Amino acid sequence: MSRSVATATRPQLALQSYLDGLLQEAALELADSASQDEFEAAVLEEKVRDARQVSVAPQQPEKLALVAMPQPEREASPVLIEPLAEVHLAAPPPTPAAKLHLDGRPEWAQEPFECLLFDVAGLTLAVPLVCLGSIYPLVGEELTPLFGQPDWFLGILPCQAGNLKVLDAARWVMPDRYRDDFRQGLQYVISVEGYEWGLAVHQVSRSIRLDPNEVKWRSLRTQRPWLAGTVIEHMCALLDVAALAELIASGAAKRMVNGQVH
Amino acid sequence: MNRSSAQGADDPILQWVTFRLDNESYGINVMQVQEVLRYTEIAPVPGAPSYVLGIINLRGNVVTVIDTRQRFGLDSADVTDNSRVVIIEADKQVVGILVDSVAEVVYLRQSEVETAPNVGNDESAKFIQGVCNKNGELLILVELDKMMSEEEWSELESI
Repeated sequence: MSRSVATATRPQLALQSYLDGLLQEAALELADSASQDEFEAAVLEEKVRDARQVSVAPQQPEKLALVAMPQPEREASPVLIEPLAEVHLAAPPPTPAAKLHLDGRPEWAQEPFECLLFDVAGLTLAVPLVCLGSIYPLVGEELTPLFGQPDWFLGILPCQAGNLKVLDAARWVMPDRYRDDFRQGLQYVISVEGYEWGLAVHQVSRSIRLDPNEVKWRSLRTQRPWLAGTVIEHMCALLDVAALAELIASGAAKRMVNGQVH
Repeated sequence: MNRSSAQGADDPILQWVTFRLDNESYGINVMQVQEVLRYTEIAPVPGAPSYVLGIINLRGNVVTVIDTRQRFGLDSADVTDNSRVVIIEADKQVVGILVDSVAEVVYLRQSEVETAPNVGNDESAKFIQGVCNKNGELLILVELDKMMSEEEWSELESI
C-alpha cells in the first residue's frame, strides 16, 4: 500500500496532535511527581520534540503484512461471522483486576510483549496480543443497535463466539476530535479476550514486539485507565484493552465524559 | 414475570411476540399480549404526556396508546398498512403500543437469552431485558413493565 505525502499529511498531523496531547499530559504527570528531576523532564521534552520531527517528515510507507488475514470469503448473508484471525497468544489472559505495577506497567508488560497495530481514523494504536481475542470482518455486516445506549456503543455483532458488543474505538480515544464520518469505513472488529466486547477499527496492520522500556508508561491511570502509555518509536498509543473492557463491564463507563472517567 | 411454558426447571422455554420498529426486531412476553389490532384512528388527548399518542375505543373500553418509537428514542415514522397496535397488559394496566409491524411468536430457551450491555445512562436502556439470535437476526427483548416509571404508569392510569 502506498500513500502520497499529501494524503499522509492529514492523518500524520492528527496523530502528531494526539500524541502531543498524550505526551504533554505525561509531562504534566512527571512535573507533578516529586520523584522526577529536571533532567528527566528535559529528556521527555526532547522526546516530544523528536516525535514532532518524526511525524512531520515524509515517511516511506511500510508494507502492511502480518496477522494472517486472508481476504474474507463470506457467504451472501452470513448469520454468524467467523473470525479472520485468532490473535490471542497462548499466554494466560490478564485477569479483570490485572495488577498494575508502580511504574504503570501492567502484568503483561514485565517482559517484552507482542502488540498488534491497528488504525482508527488515521491514528495508529497498539494493543497487546495477550489481551486480544479474534478479528472479525465488519464490511458488509450489520450491527444491531440498541436504544438508550451511549454514542460509543455501535451495536451488537453476532459472531461465532456469541453476540459481540461493539464499541467505537475512535470515540474512546479521541472524543474531542471525533467526527461523524469516522463511522464510515470501519472494517474490522477486534474482540477483547475474556470479554464480550470488541473494538471497531478502520484497519488492522501488523504486529510488533515491544520492549517495556520502549513504552512511556502512564503511572497515573485515574482519568483514562484504558491508555497504558505511548510508544515514540512507532508513534502510537498503547491501549490496555483489558482495562477498557473491565471499565465497561463494571459499569464505570457510565460515568465517562469525553473518554475520561469522572 | 409470567412464564408461558416451562421445559425443565433449569431452562424454561419462553414465548415471545415479535414486532418491528425501525428495521429492528423486538420481542415481548406473549403472556402480556392480549391482542393485536390493525391501525385504527387514535384520538389525541389534550394535555397527555408526549409518549401518549392518544386513545382508542376497544369494544367499548378506552385504551391508551403509547408512542413506542418515542419511548425507544427512535425517529417517528408514518403509519403504514403494516402498522399494528399491540394491546398489552403491563403494570396491571391495559395499554396499546404502536409498532411498525408484528411478525410472529417465537420460542426461546432462557439460556438463549443474553443480557444486554449495562452501559447506558438513558432511562430507555433499562427496559431492554436481553438479546437473542433467532432466525438469523438479533431479537431485542423488551421488559414491558419497565417501559414506564412508576410515576408514568400512574399518569397513564389517570388518562
